[in-house]
Amino acid sequence: MSGQRHVPQRGSRALDVTGIVKRYGPVVALRGVSLGLDYGDVLGLVGDNGAGKSTLISVISGITRPDSGEVRVDGKLWDHAGARSTREAGIETVFQNLALVPTLSIAENMYLGREPYGPGGIAAALRRIDKRRMRREVEQAFGRLGLQMPPVTSKAGSLSGGQRQAVAVARAVLWGSRVVIMDEPAAALGVQQTEAVLGLIARLKAEGIATMLVSHNMDHVLRVADRVAVLRLGRKVADLDLRRQPVTATDLVGLITGAVPGAA
Amino acid sequence: MNLAQVRRTGPRLQRGHGSLRRLGAAQGGGLWVALILLSFYFSWTTGSFFTRSNLLVVLEQVSVLGMVAVPGAMLLVSGNLDLSVGSVAGLAAAAFGEFDKIFGWPMWLAFLGAIAVGAAWGTMNGVLVCYLGFSPVIVTLGGYAGAAGLAQTITSDTTRSGFGHLFDQLGNGTLAGMPVPGVIFIVVFLAGAYVWYETRTGRHLIAIGANREAANALGVSTRRLPCVVYILSGTAAALGGLIITAQLDGASVQIGVGLELQVLTAILLGGVAFTGGRGSLWGTLAGILFIGVLDDGLILVNVGPYVADLAVGAALVVAAALDVGYQRLERRPAPEPEPVEGEAAEPARSEEQEQRTGA
Repeated sequence: MSGQRHVPQRGSRALDVTGIVKRYGPVVALRGVSLGLDYGDVLGLVGDNGAGKSTLISVISGITRPDSGEVRVDGKLWDHAGARSTREAGIETVFQNLALVPTLSIAENMYLGREPYGPGGIAAALRRIDKRRMRREVEQAFGRLGLQMPPVTSKAGSLSGGQRQAVAVARAVLWGSRVVIMDEPAAALGVQQTEAVLGLIARLKAEGIATMLVSHNMDHVLRVADRVAVLRLGRKVADLDLRRQPVTATDLVGLITGAVPGAA
Repeated sequence: MNLAQVRRTGPRLQRGHGSLRRLGAAQGGGLWVALILLSFYFSWTTGSFFTRSNLLVVLEQVSVLGMVAVPGAMLLVSGNLDLSVGSVAGLAAAAFGEFDKIFGWPMWLAFLGAIAVGAAWGTMNGVLVCYLGFSPVIVTLGGYAGAAGLAQTITSDTTRSGFGHLFDQLGNGTLAGMPVPGVIFIVVFLAGAYVWYETRTGRHLIAIGANREAANALGVSTRRLPCVVYILSGTAAALGGLIITAQLDGASVQIGVGLELQVLTAILLGGVAFTGGRGSLWGTLAGILFIGVLDDGLILVNVGPYVADLAVGAALVVAAALDVGYQRLERRPAPEPEPVEGEAAEPARSEEQEQRTGA
């Protein structure tokens, strides 16, 4: 969309996660996880249910404060000031539950939390939001991304599962200027729509955005990822560079289940 | 469902869906239609409904209810609730009487002090509910009992009166040919409508009520925003209590009794979902006026006030039925542009059609 976009420096470090520990009462969700992600790279994050993937995403998205460990964005310490400042820094997340408001329109959902003021200085001073601009820019954005969608004034609650997912993914793709995290972005999608999402990931990569793909589908991960990190019981048990070593889905499944002991 | 089936069923569903849209618009404006019909009915039976003086009476009668219902609707749409407004109105009235008569404060200071009491009570509600996560029903039900008890305690159940000409103007004066309370209500409503429809706040309140987790994940302030509205609700209740005090020229602890029920009825009649996430402030205005017209008209046709209560109660049950209807309509897709021929559009369409036929 409009506004000043951060221009990523391909190959430099976008995100550094170090020693994240998070406990929920007696349950230890993360036991010191460290991850690095470069601009222009796609990191696949895999692991069984309960391995800590969702907690890790929640920490990076600024929703959950870790008990210890740190997150660095562009090498600068990120202070977990909340979801809003994380989004303002250009870190976007497609949550598994999609985080859509059914009673708001597609355009309002796309802009939720960052509605533009205007048009003009007086309207902006009165904090009036620019509804026309929101509609226009969302329409243009869908056009650019090649998405066939109902009118942007439709309520999100009236959309099909696939369309909702498309809105959530499009929101992250359009606002994410540094890091885009996708938690099962193709879960409710058909074959063709899944291809469209994987195509969007390739597009993010081409733009130099750092992307993290969380999925249970090993084929998707192996197709688009440059690296794969495997979480098991709150620890990172493997961090594989697919450009240096051949990895198969069977290898990943072995690491996820613990049949193959981790190296990293 | 294969593509041939989609093509066959597509246009038929499209038509059926158009009529559903019209039904939705009819129900959305249904309360306005009911309001107009009710007005014409009272006009026909009494002959004096559509007179300037009677319409001004209606405006004055709904003004306190209306100014409290504006923040009330914002609370309800965000999944919150303030049942303490009636008692807070009574407490503010009582505090004003004590400040003015016992403490001997100047009138304006007593006025501001009483408003501050309402704002403070609203702040307490907001902090307990929004920051500490207490149930809004329980906290404000506690306020409903507690504020009334506090009012009785500080006044020893004595009604103070004689607040002078200037204060009298707040309740009984006129401005631009309208009663002052009515002018205050109109200003509060217009300000509320601007916030609701033209600023981020309106969308964010709806988002919090519909999907709090999503709102939080997207950086909407899910605590601060409703907390501020609780403060506004307490403030509006205090202002309403002071207006009634001025109308009666008496700071009675009976002021505000039953206000919370009227406010909630107006908001629910206006189509705000009790569970939050859906509603409109224009609908709330229709609800406010509906109650005002019903009360006024039933007095004009000379039936007792209990019949008015009965009618409002019945209307509330009808509102519950409408609520179910709104929820069904909401799940219907919005109209689509002309069916697109070609392979690219088909998969998305077929999935949507399945969803529709399944619903």
